[in-house]
Amino acid sequence: MKKLLFTLLLSLATLNAGEIKIAVAANVSYAIEPLKKAFNEQHPDTKIEMILGSSGKLTAQIKNGAPYELFLSANMKYPQALYDQGAAVTEPVVYAQGSLAYLSVKEQNLSKGMALLMENNISKIAIANPKTAPYGVAAQEALTNAELYDVLKEKFVYGESISQTVTYATTAADIGFIAKSSLFSPQMAQFKKGINWSEVDESLYTPIDQGMVILKKGEDNAEVKAFYDFMLSDKAREILKTFGYKVE
Amino acid sequence: MIDIEIQKALHGSQGDMRLDVKLQIEKGEFVVLLGQSGSGKTTLLRVLAGLERAAGNITVENVIWLQNQKMLPPQQREIGFVFQDYALFDNMSVEENLLYVNEDRALTKRLLKLTELTQLSSRNVKGLSGGQKQRVSLCRAMMKKPKLLLMDEPLSALDQAMRIKLKDEILKLHKTFGTTTIMVSHDSAVSYQLADRILVLDHGKVIADGSPDEIFTKASTVTYSLNI
Amino acid sequence: MFDIASLDLAPFMLSFKLAGITTLILFVLSLPLAWYLSQTHSKAKPILEAVTALPIVLPPSVLGFYILVVLSPNSAVGGFFEDLLGVKLVFSFTGLVVASCFYSLPFMVQPLQSGFESLNKHMLEASYLAGKSKLQTVFKVALPNIKPSLITALIITFAHTVGEFGVVLMVGGSIPGETKVASVAIYEMVEVMEYGTAHIYSAIMVLMSFLVLLAVYVFNHQQKKIGILR
Repeated sequence: MKKLLFTLLLSLATLNAGEIKIAVAANVSYAIEPLKKAFNEQHPDTKIEMILGSSGKLTAQIKNGAPYELFLSANMKYPQALYDQGAAVTEPVVYAQGSLAYLSVKEQNLSKGMALLMENNISKIAIANPKTAPYGVAAQEALTNAELYDVLKEKFVYGESISQTVTYATTAADIGFIAKSSLFSPQMAQFKKGINWSEVDESLYTPIDQGMVILKKGEDNAEVKAFYDFMLSDKAREILKTFGYKVE
Repeated sequence: MIDIEIQKALHGSQGDMRLDVKLQIEKGEFVVLLGQSGSGKTTLLRVLAGLERAAGNITVENVIWLQNQKMLPPQQREIGFVFQDYALFDNMSVEENLLYVNEDRALTKRLLKLTELTQLSSRNVKGLSGGQKQRVSLCRAMMKKPKLLLMDEPLSALDQAMRIKLKDEILKLHKTFGTTTIMVSHDSAVSYQLADRILVLDHGKVIADGSPDEIFTKASTVTYSLNI
Repeated sequence: MFDIASLDLAPFMLSFKLAGITTLILFVLSLPLAWYLSQTHSKAKPILEAVTALPIVLPPSVLGFYILVVLSPNSAVGGFFEDLLGVKLVFSFTGLVVASCFYSLPFMVQPLQSGFESLNKHMLEASYLAGKSKLQTVFKVALPNIKPSLITALIITFAHTVGEFGVVLMVGGSIPGETKVASVAIYEMVEVMEYGTAHIYSAIMVLMSFLVLLAVYVFNHQQKKIGILR
């Protein structure tokens, strides 16, 4: 009986195959294409429309009625707030754990670690705005724990999202704190580990647990649920790992 | 003595033609240029003023104003120009318009007195009537103490009464200062009264050149056929 | 509600400072360009005019992006300025001024050019015949006679720069006290849902913009009346 019901639902789902809107935190934007592709192999009729932005901005939009059905955040705090408010219908689950890295277009002596930031030739440091981007919060935390935040404050330029921070880091800033996942997209292949980038010491910041929730608008939508389940599946985890995320 | 020999291609209301003029003007002569619209009268004036280019030569009292393609800029020609639309400096008063050309206050007073504009000397020119504006224009042109005074239909925008008044003032100024003058006009009566010499232009060429009597009475076939 | 006394006015000061400096610099740079465009018969005129007008139609983010890339210290131009002259052209107030000059250029040039073009040509010629050079003519005759266009150019350029957002967001780096202008500050308030502050900031901006525009229209109306009254 269950099997029959399930098949019926599945066929119904494919009958009504349509479009699902997913709000995606900026740092996931690099991995999202391969994830989409893998999902569509199983569900070819589902069209995925992605809205990219900083987690903070997306949360504000959702609170104000934005028509998104699923939210992949860069932290747990924002999806938790949405769930508490009733804007999300599932409790946040961790779909990946992100890491912080620093990147410079020029060759740097990265073995120095954070002390590198104190050098004179580093005059502009790009970080994501801690008010809106969880990776910015992590960067701020790491710098504070390294007792460098107040000293370096004058050198900061603030990216509105982690992706704008990447833009800054690859154009006009001397160095930037970015999501490690961005380094695995094809355009970043030119930057070499140990020469241009390195991971930030993990002991300096709280692990970035990234949470996912189904939103009110996506409630009872089988395709949304399908993507949700997909994100927690082994296939998705494999892809996320190739982008430098940690998955349990 | 003014020597003029110029050629210029014209594209006017009468079609394309060539301005081709060769003449000499004596110092102090009052010349009136007659001719139909589009015959090249204004262009001739503007070439003399240095506001337009032309080929040829212009020498004014032994100073070269134009030689082949080399042109003396209008700033350096000692010319007074009275435009048909007055072209006064709207941001200045009557007196300031005159002082802009030459800071000789005594001369401004004298000219304003001659043209009965003294009462208006501190008024902004925007508030003046057509006749008043034209008189200011005339004074301003004379402030340069020019070697050559050029007037482009200075009376055509005025009513009959004003025309007579202004004609009298032009005559007065000419008698007082003796400036060599070339005036373009459509008004035969005024031309007859002011001119020492009349040149008739047709399609860019001088077709008649003589005293007012010669042109208006004896050579009447010329003026008659051109409906001047 | 919220404490108005604790309101951070730095973004507004920055916006007005940026707009003021940009307006002054643009006036000096645009005057010769506008005059040239108004007087020339060159065949290149339409090309020049199209280039000057580009910042009106270019999306600000495009403008911002290219400025970021071209003026970055890693590029030839930006590197030259930084290494040889010690001037930072991105993530700095100076960089914003440069970007704003590009962004607001047509708003200074076009009214001036329009004004000059509407002048009586004979009046300018009368000035030359009076022995004055083109430069003297521009300052003593041309400019005084295009007061409405001049005021419009100055005020619209100022207002347009105050409202600048996309370019500043790209090129500024949102540095408090240096590149975080009012428009960016308001954006951030909205993003973090501090709507109260966002409302106040926005209200101030709307009020100021309205007053500025009102001033332009009242002034122009007065100028027209003076012209009509005989």
